[in-house]
Amino acid sequence: MGALTRERDVREAYAAHSGELYGFAVRSLGDAGLAEEAVQETFLRAWKAGERFDPEIGSLRTWLFAILRNVVIDLGRARASRPRVAEGGVEPSVEPLEQALLAWQVEEAMRRIGEDHRRVLLETHFRARPYSEVAEELGVPEGTIKSRVYYGLKALRVAMEEMGYED
Amino acid sequence: MRTDDHRDWKLSLGAFALGDLPAEERAAVAAHLEGCAECRADLRELEGVSALLPLADPTRIEQPPVRPPADLGARIEAQIAAESSREGRERRRRRFRLWIGGAAATAAVAAVLALIVLPIEGGENSPAQEVRFTSVPNGVSIDATLEPHAFGTEIHMYVKGIRSGTLCRVFLRDDNGRTYSAGSFRYRWGDDSEAELSSALDLSQAAAIGVHAGGRTFVAPVSGATAVVMGTDPDPT
Repeated sequence: MGALTRERDVREAYAAHSGELYGFAVRSLGDAGLAEEAVQETFLRAWKAGERFDPEIGSLRTWLFAILRNVVIDLGRARASRPRVAEGGVEPSVEPLEQALLAWQVEEAMRRIGEDHRRVLLETHFRARPYSEVAEELGVPEGTIKSRVYYGLKALRVAMEEMGYED
Repeated sequence: MRTDDHRDWKLSLGAFALGDLPAEERAAVAAHLEGCAECRADLRELEGVSALLPLADPTRIEQPPVRPPADLGARIEAQIAAESSREGRERRRRRFRLWIGGAAATAAVAAVLALIVLPIEGGENSPAQEVRFTSVPNGVSIDATLEPHAFGTEIHMYVKGIRSGTLCRVFLRDDNGRTYSAGSFRYRWGDDSEAELSSALDLSQAAAIGVHAGGRTFVAPVSGATAVVMGTDPDPT
């Protein structure tokens, strides 16, 4: 896809990237309504600046995330200037925005890898449970847990790379 | 080194990268790495992603993925369509006003032209038209922009100089003389805003646009033999 100037281009970009953009917006802002606003504003800005998008410089996904990042900053400032009201749903992220984006990518990548790999990584790494205990719980040899950790990290890396992550 | 041994070492690299191996096993893997370039390369990849894991929040990982509301895409499309339409109108309006200014300066030419139709965006893809009503009393101006749509024709009326509060009823007329209502508006003195109207008649079928106002009817051709086509402007962008 070249410049994002036609309404049809925006529709295609929305179909391809809205889920990820919305997921990150919810994580950053902690509010579904604000996240909708952020995604809407992102696509509007992208359409207005569509002629400046150059696929040879970077991917459309990267460009949209860069716009969303600015929108989230703007919305965060606007919210900070308003009196705090009770909000339901997800707690907003308190990390710096770049770190929040990376954290969201890791979480999204973890959701994308296979269930067996995800579960083993969650239990052994995030919950610090011994491999032997997890192996017993799952009814598999301990070597299988070690193998799942290895292939889980491999799969995680591939998922991260699909989302534009580079070392 | 046997292939099976190498595979066993390799499968330990994930736990090694995460720092999960007991000291003795860790030392053994480290010793293997000394002499195995393939495993060292593999480990570098795993260490990159392992270093990112602490950023993630496990409770968020286990939450079901959030999805945007089903109608968000349609809302964005509608907003962009509205912006596009508004910007297009503003652009044409500015160009139309510039043209009118030029026409006033060449009054002799304007006097010859009884009716003028100025297609601003020519070509099959953008047949929107600007129409200026010329048979109007001194001090009065009526201009219109007509844009084609699937539903018919979108009409923007710009009226000046008539009595404030005058009811203006707008219609389109086809080649057979049949009229199609485009709605009405009330002119207010000092109000420079446009009246936005619509008619079910396709723009391609419209022969004339008319306005009933203050007991009089003003008509200007949209297309046909009486229209003087002033040419096609280049792409306004």
